[in-house]
Amino acid sequence: MRGLDSVRLVRYSTYLALALAVIAPFASGNLYLLNLLILMLIFIIFASSWNLLAISGQGSLGHAAFFGIGGYASTLIAVKTGLSPFIALPLGGAVAAGVGLLIGLTCVRLKEWFLAMVTFGFAIITQTLVVSVLTPVTGGWDGIASPRLLSATIPGYAFIEYYSILAIAALCILAIRALMGSRIGLAFAAIRENETEARASGVDPVRYRLLGFAASAFLAGVAGALEIHHFGYVTPEIFGINISFWPVIYSIFGGLGTVAGPVIGTVMLTIVWEGLKNFGLTFERFIIIGLILILVVIFLPRGLVSLPEEIRKRRGPGRTREGSEKRSDG
Amino acid sequence: MVEVGILLQIVFWGLYAGCIYLLLATGLNLIFGVMKILNFAHGEFLMLGAYVTAAILALTGINPYAIILLTMLVLALIGGVVERLCFRPILGTGKLNEIFLSIGLIYVFESMAALIWGDRWQSIQSPYGGISIPIGPISLPLDYLIILVVTAGILAGLYLFLERTPIGMAIRATSQNRRGAMLVGIDVERMDMLSFGIGSALAAGAGTLWVVSGQVFNPYMGSIPAIKAFAIIILGGLGSIPGAIAGGLLYGLAENATAFLIGGSWKDAVSFIVLIVVLIIRPRGLFGEAEE
Repeated sequence: MRGLDSVRLVRYSTYLALALAVIAPFASGNLYLLNLLILMLIFIIFASSWNLLAISGQGSLGHAAFFGIGGYASTLIAVKTGLSPFIALPLGGAVAAGVGLLIGLTCVRLKEWFLAMVTFGFAIITQTLVVSVLTPVTGGWDGIASPRLLSATIPGYAFIEYYSILAIAALCILAIRALMGSRIGLAFAAIRENETEARASGVDPVRYRLLGFAASAFLAGVAGALEIHHFGYVTPEIFGINISFWPVIYSIFGGLGTVAGPVIGTVMLTIVWEGLKNFGLTFERFIIIGLILILVVIFLPRGLVSLPEEIRKRRGPGRTREGSEKRSDG
Repeated sequence: MVEVGILLQIVFWGLYAGCIYLLLATGLNLIFGVMKILNFAHGEFLMLGAYVTAAILALTGINPYAIILLTMLVLALIGGVVERLCFRPILGTGKLNEIFLSIGLIYVFESMAALIWGDRWQSIQSPYGGISIPIGPISLPLDYLIILVVTAGILAGLYLFLERTPIGMAIRATSQNRRGAMLVGIDVERMDMLSFGIGSALAAGAGTLWVVSGQVFNPYMGSIPAIKAFAIIILGGLGSIPGAIAGGLLYGLAENATAFLIGGSWKDAVSFIVLIVVLIIRPRGLFGEAEE
């Protein structure tokens, strides 16, 4: 009964979120907010891509590498061939996926800290390549101009852009959901829980890990390409440490390993972030985000999505014991 | 052929950079040995060490090399508090949580420093700034020599502490066998806090040496040296303090040689390329044991 409740809860909140997303531009009617919503959607894709990697039992502290590669690749393809950014977009994602496959190959045997270090290193190596050897095509530290997703001369272009990106984001999340429900998703879960047992039952961990890496890199690349075509400009700053950390923070805050987690995390933290900005806080914003992250890791390790369950647990018979444990803890 | 003078210059530059790395790496390994965790925010203690040193110098004006112990004490206290409030609650809940928690700590510390001291690049002047000592064909800044000596002193102090004092022995016992240490009556949680504090103090010492040599610093300077310290302990063996010392020095030398040979912009990337190649061949590090 309880399971059914939460299923229904998820379904209704999904409809509600989608409805809100559709009417949001009309409700706001100002360009600044629309811009914000667009960036939020892009980071929902990005955070979901990171989360997909976590679902496949891996992780990355250098996801900005794929975000940036997608952005650069899509821009260069669009510039050199004259294709529309909408077509260059998945191609940029494909380039990121190709690189992701290569990086995945070096990472399949690595765990935890080792994996974290190597992926972090890849983001730095990519940035170094972009500003040194690749400078003739990438423009070095100065960056290059990128074709806009839609020309600003089209009437109502901002709205069309918003809805296109909304559609792409919805598509990405549906794809992740479908993947999680398929045999591949089951294989991911098996590898994540117990690799030896997964291997014993005929699941090849290396193949699935690589698949996870490539799929995640593809989505991250698409997100990066979207951001760059939205801004109309790309610089190597896109490989920065912050860009690598945001999807991690969003996913953990919302709830790691769930489809809804990164979405909720991105939306909630974006609201917090922008709200704090309106109070004129700059450095304090980062302190607050950092504190939120620390508190979530310690007290709500499965993220916001587990909050209803946790509350129910606290209300249940174990309440007094939980309470006393808390006290002795802090 | 490379000139002898340039070669010597590279060696001394490398040793100097190596001192900073080895202090960071030794601290990380000390913590890892006892608690079996890696604090990704370790570089923030280096950054705080730099700022605390600069702040004390601005306040008192005494010789910056004399401030190092005070800085280390301050950061040892901060480190102890961080261990108690943040790392102890998540001890044993999985390695991913450590990484996530560290990211939170990085944001908190960086932005607090930016809030207090501003986010511009700063530098301070060493009292021996202009003095160089001729060694063979080159003349070496006196600061570099002092830094080498100070680092050796800190390491000797750490060695004596760990080998000769009862608390040091308790730390080593905890690091060798946590349950065994508990059985003989060692308060392992106190050892956790202590080793975390000492590890943070070592990073703070690196921070002091960083600023007194005249290098610039800002609130975001900690990440890259810390990441290199991780690379060093992964290469040199998790938990091995001699590995961290040798690794740190070698790393500093290798990095400066690369910077000289193929250009400074490659300095950071090359270290990761080496790390990645090593990890492809040996996924648990050069001296890492086969766990699990």
